[in-house]
Amino acid sequence: MIGVRFSIANDALSGGNRARAPAVFALMFGILSSVALRVEAAPVEFQLTDTHGGAVADAVVILDPLDADPPPSHSNAVIDQVNKAFVPHVSVVRTGTSISFPNSDNIRHQVYSFSPAKTFTIKLYAGSPKETIAVEKSGLIVLGCNIHDSMVGFLAVVNTPYFGKSTPEGMLRIDAPNGRYRLRVWHERLAQPFAAESISIDAAGLRLPLKLNILAGSAVPAAWPE
Amino acid sequence: MRLRTRIAITFVLLLAAVMATALSIVSIANHNNAAREVNRQLDVGASVFRRLIETNRRQLTQAAQAVAQDFGFREAIAAHDTDTIVSALQNSGSRIGAAMVVLTSLDGRVIAASGSTAKTGRAFLPVKTLLADTRNADSASTIFVEGGRIFELVMTSVRGPLPIAYVAMGFELDAAAAQELASVTGLDVTLSIGRGGRESYIVQTSAHAHDPQRETNERKISLSEIPGAEVTATLSRSLKEARAPFDRLANVLYAVAAASLLATSLAAVWLARNITRPLQNLIAAVDRIRAGRYDTVLKIERQDELGTLAEGMQLMQSAVDSRDQAIRQLAYRDSLTGLMNRTAFADSLRQILADEPRTTVAVAVINIDRFRRINECLGYSVGDEVLREIGHRLTAAPNIVGAVARLAADQFAAFACLAPRGSDADWASSLLMRLSEPIRVQTRPIDVTATMGIVVSPNDAADVDELLRCAELALSRARRVKRSVDFYESSLKPATSDQLSLLGELQAAVDQDQLRLAFQPKIDLASSRVAGAEVLLRWQHPTRGLLSPGTFIPFAEQTGFIRRLTRWTLNAAIARAALWWRSGNPLPLSVNISADDLADPTLDQRIAAALVQHELPPALLTLEVTESGFIDDPEGALRVLQSLSLLRVRLSIDDFGTGYSSLSYLARMPVDEIKIDRSFIDGLKTDSDFVAIVRATIEMSHSLGLTVAAEGIETHVAANILQQMKCDTGQGYLYGRPMLVEDLQRWLAGRDRMPVDKTRRQFDVEGALSLTDDTNILHLIRPGGGGI
Repeated sequence: MIGVRFSIANDALSGGNRARAPAVFALMFGILSSVALRVEAAPVEFQLTDTHGGAVADAVVILDPLDADPPPSHSNAVIDQVNKAFVPHVSVVRTGTSISFPNSDNIRHQVYSFSPAKTFTIKLYAGSPKETIAVEKSGLIVLGCNIHDSMVGFLAVVNTPYFGKSTPEGMLRIDAPNGRYRLRVWHERLAQPFAAESISIDAAGLRLPLKLNILAGSAVPAAWPE
Repeated sequence: MRLRTRIAITFVLLLAAVMATALSIVSIANHNNAAREVNRQLDVGASVFRRLIETNRRQLTQAAQAVAQDFGFREAIAAHDTDTIVSALQNSGSRIGAAMVVLTSLDGRVIAASGSTAKTGRAFLPVKTLLADTRNADSASTIFVEGGRIFELVMTSVRGPLPIAYVAMGFELDAAAAQELASVTGLDVTLSIGRGGRESYIVQTSAHAHDPQRETNERKISLSEIPGAEVTATLSRSLKEARAPFDRLANVLYAVAAASLLATSLAAVWLARNITRPLQNLIAAVDRIRAGRYDTVLKIERQDELGTLAEGMQLMQSAVDSRDQAIRQLAYRDSLTGLMNRTAFADSLRQILADEPRTTVAVAVINIDRFRRINECLGYSVGDEVLREIGHRLTAAPNIVGAVARLAADQFAAFACLAPRGSDADWASSLLMRLSEPIRVQTRPIDVTATMGIVVSPNDAADVDELLRCAELALSRARRVKRSVDFYESSLKPATSDQLSLLGELQAAVDQDQLRLAFQPKIDLASSRVAGAEVLLRWQHPTRGLLSPGTFIPFAEQTGFIRRLTRWTLNAAIARAALWWRSGNPLPLSVNISADDLADPTLDQRIAAALVQHELPPALLTLEVTESGFIDDPEGALRVLQSLSLLRVRLSIDDFGTGYSSLSYLARMPVDEIKIDRSFIDGLKTDSDFVAIVRATIEMSHSLGLTVAAEGIETHVAANILQQMKCDTGQGYLYGRPMLVEDLQRWLAGRDRMPVDKTRRQFDVEGALSLTDDTNILHLIRPGGGGI
């Protein structure tokens, strides 16, 4: 396994999304290329828009293969704390990933989550914590900082290697081998869980424009589609 | 109403009105003020209340948020550790004194509760209604009611980091909370649940908050609108209490007002009296002045208007007094001489007569003889001076003269109270004595003489006007008979009561043939034969019988009616004489002519006409003219006599010796006869002076070629004396009284008569006509003409 460690060093003042997208993309590419099973991967291109036709960014798209169990993976992920915000705001990792939460702020944070998928607390710290958090269960982990109520982050843990996060333009490409998959889409402001039971991917690939019902400003997170 | 009362009442009412107005204004102002103040307090209190609630809420919210942020709390909630949750709720609740702490899920269901009856798993009612607010603002608050208790509930979300639950904390609004609110706002606070009459009062800081007697103003603040659980806070303030300070003051003010009203009343009464008392004095003085008394002392020792008024009235009083006296002067004084005038004299006399009714009072009217001559010859200024001097002299001795007045231009009057046996004659002569001394005007001595008529009260008359009239009558006679003094006799005056009617009766007497001729025979003394008769007038009055001339002749003379009477007498006498002439027994008749008849210019024509009409020889008619007729106008009388003599009638001067006639006139008068007055004949036997006078008169007359007749012969002695003195004819009671024609004819029968010259020629008509140019005479003498 090639552990790709991406440390996204961003300009602290600029918005994180733009920098994240290519990073994720690179991550995905890296992950896919490192997969031992050389299966023919077909591109699935998603275009996500909301009801007004605007681009939906940071939407998590998951393709659960229905044909075969995906191989396990062990990798690492990093979620930084920059400017009292989790960077990236939304992360998707495979189960078995170890996540470290470096604190790039000059103030301390206490990262915690009460989510059933992983309940943890990293006590008030600065810089890099010693421990990493290993996520074994799939599900949505809502991250928060004890001190700063406004710091919210999402860590989606999935069982499949086929997942991704939409770009700010609402675009996403997932290369997945032919087969049948279950499509799950989640966004933090998605009104209802979106799941499609079965889609087939063939060599030709797939173009999926999806229209999502994104709510404007909702404090309660959307339900995680299981 | 009296001035004093009016002043007092006005003052008092004014002050009462002012005070009432002031007090009511202040009272109203205070009412309004109190109300305004209370409202202001209520407004302030309401906003303070709201602010307090607000502050409370914020505090509570912060406290709730502190609880909600506690990590252990959040952990316990995330871990669904109910026990931990409950104890955490309790702990945090007691920490900040929240009576109730409730944890709910995001859909409002109770997860855990402390101090509340909310059941786990059930919906927590207030939370549900706050959900919308909380979602947006992260916290919300409300007032809610549970079990009859009012709670202020704040709710906030528990984050992990997204909202995972809501925690609600409730703080009870109990009596203590209300009391704190009440003390901060200074108002009474009442918290109630329910609305519209079904309120229940949960908390009241004052037991009387809703007592209507206390007159409270309120502000209601609605703390919760939840139907069925409406919570209202009522802030109230008592107006009565707000007004209380003034109400206490008001009593003081009322007392002050009453006291000052009383004081003012007294002052007003005093002031009023101060004004009206002097006024009353002045009013009394005015009454006295009005009554004619000008001697009141009007003195008010004041410097103000009343003092000035008194001064002015004093001056006015003296002015009225002096004017009154001046008027009296004018009214009662003669300006020239300073003597009383007629009115004053009469008043004075009246007063004396009234004061001393039993005293004899003599009243004299004095006329200055020929005063007109003095004015004409010497001038009016001399005349005035003479009058003044006469006045002085008459008043010279006040103890003799009672009062002296000037009645008219040359007429004075005086009266005096005579001593019981005093003589009026003596008083009269004493008065005349005063005037005997010549009056000196500018060194020129002027002699004045006076004629006086005297009347005595109560003998002759008792009434003042009567007295003056009688005195004047006496004066007239005195002037007529040329005496200096004459005393009033009742014969001078006809019966007073009948005078005006007498004139009418006289007219009737003439018209209705009531007059009669009476004849008194004249005797030739030498031969004792009848020489003629004097014609006298008698009046056959229908009721009073036969009246002698004395009862009406004087009155006729005064009124001028004598001419009518004379005319009638002449006519009747001429007719009678003509009758006798034609019958062959002629008797010469004598008719009396008065001074008034002499003044008649038509007298001669009338006589001429009568003579022609009755065809009587004029020699048979004798006209007897009284000597007093010559006094006033001797020249005129002379002219008349001359024209009468042309008629060839005989002329005789009657009452010779009693008047003041000049003997020089006697020579010029064409008279035929002198009749000696009876007064001389009466005294013939006793008085030797009279004998001498009569003798001299007879001799003088005979020397002048006149015959002499004597009237009033009553005694043989007198007759003898006269006969010896060669008096021609006599007349009197000795020979015969005046008798009517029938009696005369009887008396004449058997007596010898003096022969009448029958050869006297007839009346000369042409001669009569030559007397005058007046062609009317033709009418008079035409046959059948009217006669005289």
